[in-house]
Amino acid sequence: MPDPVVHVAELTKIYKVPEREAGLRAAAKALFKRQTRDVRAVEAISFDIGPGEIVGFLGPNGAGKTTTLKMLAGLLYPTSGEARVLGHIPSKREREYLRRMTMVMGNRNQLQWDIPALDSFELNRAIYRLQRDDYLAMRDELVELLDVGDLVRKPVRNLSLGERMKVEIVGALLHRPQVLFLDEPTIGLDVTMQKRIRTFIDEYNRRHGATVLLTSHYMADVEALCKRVIVIHHGRILFDGALAALADEFAAYKTIGVVLENGGAPLDAYGEVVLNEGDRVSIRVPKAETSRVAARLLAEHEVLDLTIEEPPIEDVIESVFAQPAAQ
Amino acid sequence: MSSLRVGWLFLRMGVINELQYRVNFFVQLLQSLIQVGTALVMLELVYSHTNALNGWTQPELLSLIGVQVLLGGFIHTFIQPNMQQLMQDVQQGTLDYALTKPEDAQLLISVRMVRIWQVVEIVSGVILLFVGLAGVENSIGVGDAIAFGIALLIGGVLVYCFWLVMTTGAFWVVRMENVLELFEGIYQTGRWPVTVYPGWLRYSVTFLVPIGFAVTVPAEALTSRLQWPTLVFALGFGCAAFAFTRWFWHFGLRHYSGASA
Repeated sequence: MPDPVVHVAELTKIYKVPEREAGLRAAAKALFKRQTRDVRAVEAISFDIGPGEIVGFLGPNGAGKTTTLKMLAGLLYPTSGEARVLGHIPSKREREYLRRMTMVMGNRNQLQWDIPALDSFELNRAIYRLQRDDYLAMRDELVELLDVGDLVRKPVRNLSLGERMKVEIVGALLHRPQVLFLDEPTIGLDVTMQKRIRTFIDEYNRRHGATVLLTSHYMADVEALCKRVIVIHHGRILFDGALAALADEFAAYKTIGVVLENGGAPLDAYGEVVLNEGDRVSIRVPKAETSRVAARLLAEHEVLDLTIEEPPIEDVIESVFAQPAAQ
Repeated sequence: MSSLRVGWLFLRMGVINELQYRVNFFVQLLQSLIQVGTALVMLELVYSHTNALNGWTQPELLSLIGVQVLLGGFIHTFIQPNMQQLMQDVQQGTLDYALTKPEDAQLLISVRMVRIWQVVEIVSGVILLFVGLAGVENSIGVGDAIAFGIALLIGGVLVYCFWLVMTTGAFWVVRMENVLELFEGIYQTGRWPVTVYPGWLRYSVTFLVPIGFAVTVPAEALTSRLQWPTLVFALGFGCAAFAFTRWFWHFGLRHYSGASA
């Protein structure tokens, strides 16, 4: 196996947050003696990501996704543990490293608000020390891929949210980064725009062999892009593997769909009937019992067709997130 | 060299940004007129009672006020907007983008903003300086002029260091605005030569808040008062302050937690 692009071992981040009771008295007391509480945002997580992989980073709000991304981008100092990206220790913020990675945050913008994006691009060109030809070639490629057109000539404040995101992405990729940290890149965008961004990430990954670590609350993003997902919850890794295997591990039930020859037979005895349309019936059964129930159905009825389906990924994720913190 | 280019591009962009707000020019003009006017009235009042204040004649003191206004203009044009932006970025966690760039972060946060209309203040400072100098009896030698240039540069660096150290405090104490407002108040003490103040205050406005170095020393150079050892000392102090500021900035960065996790 080639060297991992991202290597994380026992990475931990503990925030000290001030804490006090509500009310004036407590506020006055806190002036003199600050009580702090340790919040373990990320706790001893380990994983490796190979070159060219697109990995989805899933977890509910406050799970530690952004904290991890920020440690990998060199924005936060880890409390303990090891992080290496492209052989660099991110928190050292070495220029050779920063020149090879990028971070896009869906809810923040880095382009100057009052001026056209083109001017901000020029600034990035200077910061990243890009040769004029390289810069122009990359800019035009990105503008075309994202179908940005003349938007780069308008002041950023006059762009819609989706347009702004596209232009932001162009700005963030001008230096051809090999590692992309994307934190909710499609947040707040309409479905068409989400799809557009998704296709683009896929295309960029293919063309430039870039490694992508992506967080998103939209499962469609993850399903379309990531073969592998890492699920993080309460600062710990719950699952790391193929997206398909996630359902195997966490789904509590499967859905058996049958088409019956004579139709209309009551099937409540086999499980929870979720759909009943004449001879077409769907039954939800506990995962462990799936094959037994299917065998019984086949034995006891005239079955024309039988399918076993995993629940939708949203439902799987929901059941994962519902798990309490491990003690 | 490339860093200079980055600085220049930021400056250019700041100017483009600000040129859209022309009204600011007139507001600034009015503010400068009032500022200069009150300074002149005060000066007239003081010198209607005496010929010299601690050895400074009226034209000499006018030059000193010129230096104070000029440096104030520099602060308001370049330093203050950047530091306010930095403070806001630390509060809101938007410093992220500056930190993920392969450029010296201190440079980036120091050149991002420029309030170009405040240049009016710099210009009025220069006018006051020249009017004052025209009335000064001794002629100014080349050596004096060079010393003035060096002293003014050191003064600018010291004030920048003071602001950045204060603003870096925002990594721990999230709201630093009040401390910086305090600076505005203290800066007004620079209208008089530091030597008129009693000892404890003189030391405070020389070393703690480096207004003595920033305003009085350059003005001393122009009025042939400056001793070379003072200039050398100021140079050493400036370098030390800059080194400390840089160290402190990096120390502060380690405590950046990016508002929203």
